[in-house]
Amino acid sequence: MEPKAAAQLERRHVHEVYESTAAYFSDLQGKAWPRVRQFLLEQKPGSLVADIGCGTGKYLRVNSQVYKLGCDYCGPLVDIAHSRGCEVLVCDNLRLPFRDRSFDAIISIGVIHHFSTAQRRTRAIQEMARVLAPGGQVMIYVWAMEKNHRHFDKQDVLIPWNPALCSQLLAEPAPSGRKPVCGQPRATPDRSPHRLACSVCGYPMYLAKRRESQWSHSLDGSGTPGCCRELAEVRDGDSGFYSILGKSFRSWFFSRSLDECTLKEHVEEAEYVAEEWAPCHPVSVQPSKLHHLDLGDQEPLSKEQDDAIAPGLIQTAEWRLAPGVPRPLPRVPHKDTQNQQQGGCFLSQSTMEHRCRSACPGGTGKQATSQLWKRSSLPPPFISLAAAMSTGASQAEAPDSEAFTRYYHVFREGELSCLVEQHVPELRVLSSINDHGNWCVVAEKKPAMMAR
Amino acid sequence: MRAQAGMKLLTHNLLSSHVRGVGPRGFPLRIQATEIRVSPVDFNPDFVTRMIPKMEWTALVEAAESLGHLSELPRQLKEGYEKDEDFLRKVHHVLLEVEVVEGTLQCPESGRLFPISRGIPNMLLSDDEATS
Repeated sequence: MEPKAAAQLERRHVHEVYESTAAYFSDLQGKAWPRVRQFLLEQKPGSLVADIGCGTGKYLRVNSQVYKLGCDYCGPLVDIAHSRGCEVLVCDNLRLPFRDRSFDAIISIGVIHHFSTAQRRTRAIQEMARVLAPGGQVMIYVWAMEKNHRHFDKQDVLIPWNPALCSQLLAEPAPSGRKPVCGQPRATPDRSPHRLACSVCGYPMYLAKRRESQWSHSLDGSGTPGCCRELAEVRDGDSGFYSILGKSFRSWFFSRSLDECTLKEHVEEAEYVAEEWAPCHPVSVQPSKLHHLDLGDQEPLSKEQDDAIAPGLIQTAEWRLAPGVPRPLPRVPHKDTQNQQQGGCFLSQSTMEHRCRSACPGGTGKQATSQLWKRSSLPPPFISLAAAMSTGASQAEAPDSEAFTRYYHVFREGELSCLVEQHVPELRVLSSINDHGNWCVVAEKKPAMMAR
Repeated sequence: MRAQAGMKLLTHNLLSSHVRGVGPRGFPLRIQATEIRVSPVDFNPDFVTRMIPKMEWTALVEAAESLGHLSELPRQLKEGYEKDEDFLRKVHHVLLEVEVVEGTLQCPESGRLFPISRGIPNMLLSDDEATS
């Protein structure tokens, strides 16, 4: 991808998302990754530590014995960190405004995976190496392609931002007097309501309020992604891809990805669930009820959506559908069908809070799922039927969800450490581990005489 | 943690302009402050002692002077400063207690101005200006 297209992609699917959603981060205390905390706590008193891509500054409050400086590309996030007493500035990871060898330690947590080309990712690391003092260490966290029970199909993905995050915040006064951005939803060409319909079962995905104050970490991208998976393959080298991706097309992708993710098996570990990725599930819908909602004939994927899909782009999308679903759109490989059949849209209330966990084990799920799959697209009347069924669902105005997809390049095993070894000669990799779905690499700046 | 007002001079001492072509001549940035604040910070002599070697001393002195907070800081580091508490307190004051809330940071080579507003410096450059 040429630099301009890369920058455009990042502007649209990284910077604008963070800028627009920053207001929601302020009261959502991210949980710090223990390993990162440990790294920071191990720094000698009087050290100079930089958090490059600090977001709202959650790591800037660890270890009062060192001087911490945070920086981020996103002004609104930096504002929040600043309001919490952090020393911060706005800058670009690709052009760090620091003199050479100034920091004793650097952390880069959930940042590099937002750069859309290998060259930019390399450059980001090279810049951090430049400003690191000899003997100093850098810790980098990026999303891993390989995870416990699931994996991304492609390395370059667009992840939808979870509008359920907005639901609670919209009901509350805006943090520090700032008006929630979500209050002014963007108009969509088709004037779709601000609610997502699962395009499998057609159930509106009600945005339930957050029960506990546990929308924790990873809002700044540092945590384990939950079940919402890839949205579309971003075709590398095709700089025109983005510009012709129509809004309705993106909308279709978005709603598809949400129900895709419910059909995979996902088990989240208790502490590292990225709540932001909890899909918007229909509330209080029980599997048994769904069995009765057989709509009969299989329907092709929504007709009205066909028009929105730009021809020629379809080949890049990979959708996983259960067997038996007609596919008027291009071929979709049947991956992980076992997993799909265990999942389902009909997760119970409790699972919505934290985990994306299959609520329909074994045969029941299988049966229900295949029935669900038949309802691959639904006309509006079905939505109201579902509305009648669900109880106590709170429906909130969401921001135009399609606007908030984030770009990620997820890393294969060894990719990050290889990148460092091959392109950043001043650094020596000390360790590389998979921490709950993230690759964590720690590297040390070689003493000056060894660097070349 | 008390509210932060602005950019500390310790931070300023690390900042360098990355305008295309300036290289090391982009340091130090000249501060033009329209609003400064002085906020007390607990004195930690060990912290200050460790920080001094990491600083570009001349630039620190110049910055303090430009803000009117030179407060008898010597232009050159003297030997044995680690044991001079009076000196350490002065350094502590300059590094951590003087904050620039509003102003600009100017690249000494290119003249490019970087704003500091509400205590936050913005060091972003446009694509044309930045080093490729």
